[in-house]
Amino acid sequence: METETKPAYHNIRTFDQKNWISQNLSYKKDTGSWAWIFHRISGIALIAYLFLHVYSLSPLAQGETAFNNKMQVYMTPFFMVVEWILFAFVLFHSLNGLRIVIVDWADGSNYHKQLYRWSWIIGILLFIAMGVLMFSFELKKFIQ
Amino acid sequence: MDIQLKILRFNPEKDKQPYFQDFNLKNVSDDWRLLDVLHEIKWNYDGTLTFRRSCAHGICGSDGMKINGRNRLACSLLLKDINTKKPITIEPLPALPIIKDLVVDMTNFFDKYEVVKPYLINNSPPPPDGERLQSNEDAEKLFESAKCILCACCTTSCPSTWTNENYIGPAALVKAYRFIYDTRDEGADERMDILDTPDGIWRCHTIFNCVEACPKEINITWHISQLKKKISSREY
Repeated sequence: METETKPAYHNIRTFDQKNWISQNLSYKKDTGSWAWIFHRISGIALIAYLFLHVYSLSPLAQGETAFNNKMQVYMTPFFMVVEWILFAFVLFHSLNGLRIVIVDWADGSNYHKQLYRWSWIIGILLFIAMGVLMFSFELKKFIQ
Repeated sequence: MDIQLKILRFNPEKDKQPYFQDFNLKNVSDDWRLLDVLHEIKWNYDGTLTFRRSCAHGICGSDGMKINGRNRLACSLLLKDINTKKPITIEPLPALPIIKDLVVDMTNFFDKYEVVKPYLINNSPPPPDGERLQSNEDAEKLFESAKCILCACCTTSCPSTWTNENYIGPAALVKAYRFIYDTRDEGADERMDILDTPDGIWRCHTIFNCVEACPKEINITWHISQLKKKISSREY
C-alpha cells in the first residue's frame, strides 16, 4: 500500500500570525472598520446595561417604598448624565444597525460612507434633542 | 529623494520572532513603484530580502503585502501616492503563516477558494453548435467579480479572518458570486449550501476592509450582499 507523503514544504517552520489584537491595532482603519468597532463597543455596553437594568428593577419584589427609594438614586444629576450617554450608545447602535440593513438589503455598499456620515449627523441631532428634553426642567430651575 | 523603510524580517532558520529592519535609501525617484524600492534593496543593499513577485504589473497578484498598515500590491503603488516623510512600513499579508520575510503560506487561502467550487458546473448536454452562449447583459453582471486576481489582499485584511481562520473570506465569496450568477452554471444550490454555514457568508460583518484593500477595485461587499439576499430568500 502506498503511504501518503507530505510535500517537502510542509517541513518548513513558519511563523503563525495569529494575534488578532495586534492585527486589529496595526491595520489602517476606514469608515467601515470604525463603524464596526463602535457597533461592537456599543453592543457590549448595551448588554452590560441590560444587567444593570434588571438589577435596578429588582427592588420591585420588596414593595413600592423600596423601589421608590432605589429610584431616588437614579434621579441624581450624575445618573442623569450617565443615562444621557446610554442614549448615545442606543442611538449609534440603532442608526448603524439601520445602515447595515441598508448595506445588506438595498445596495447600500455603494454609498456606505455617506450613510455612516448621515447616521452621525442624525445621531448627534437626536442626542442634543434628548439632552434638551432631559435637562430642560433642571436648567429652568438653575436659571431661576 | 531619500526614503526610510521598516521591513518585517523573519528567517525561519535563525529567528524565533519576526523583527523590523530599517533601510535608508538615497536617490530614489518618486515615480518608482514600491516594488522597485524592494528590488533596489534586494539588488544593492541586502540580497537576503525575500518577497514574491511575478508579472510586476498588477495582474498576477503575487506581491500583495501590508504597506503602511494596508494591504496592497507593491507593483501598483507609486512612491508619490504614499507619505514618504515618515518611514514606510512593509509587512507580509496578515493572518497567514510567514514562511520567510514577506512570503506567506497561502495554502489556507487556496483551500477556501476551492471549497466554493470555482469552476463551471453544468450537467445538461451542450447545444449542437458546441458553445454555451450568454447575452451581453448577463455577462456584464459578472465582469466586476471576474476581475479578481486572487492576491489574497481582501481575505487577509478582514477582521473576521483574523479571529476565525475557518471563515471562508471575501475572495472565495466573490468567486462564488461569479459562478452563482452565471446563467450557464447549474451549481448555484450546492454552492449556496456551502456558503450558508456558520463559517460561511454570515461571518461577513460589512467592515469594508476588503473593498479598501482590493487592488482591482471590486466592490466586494456589494457582491457579498447580493449573495446574502439570494441565500436568505431562497425557496426549497
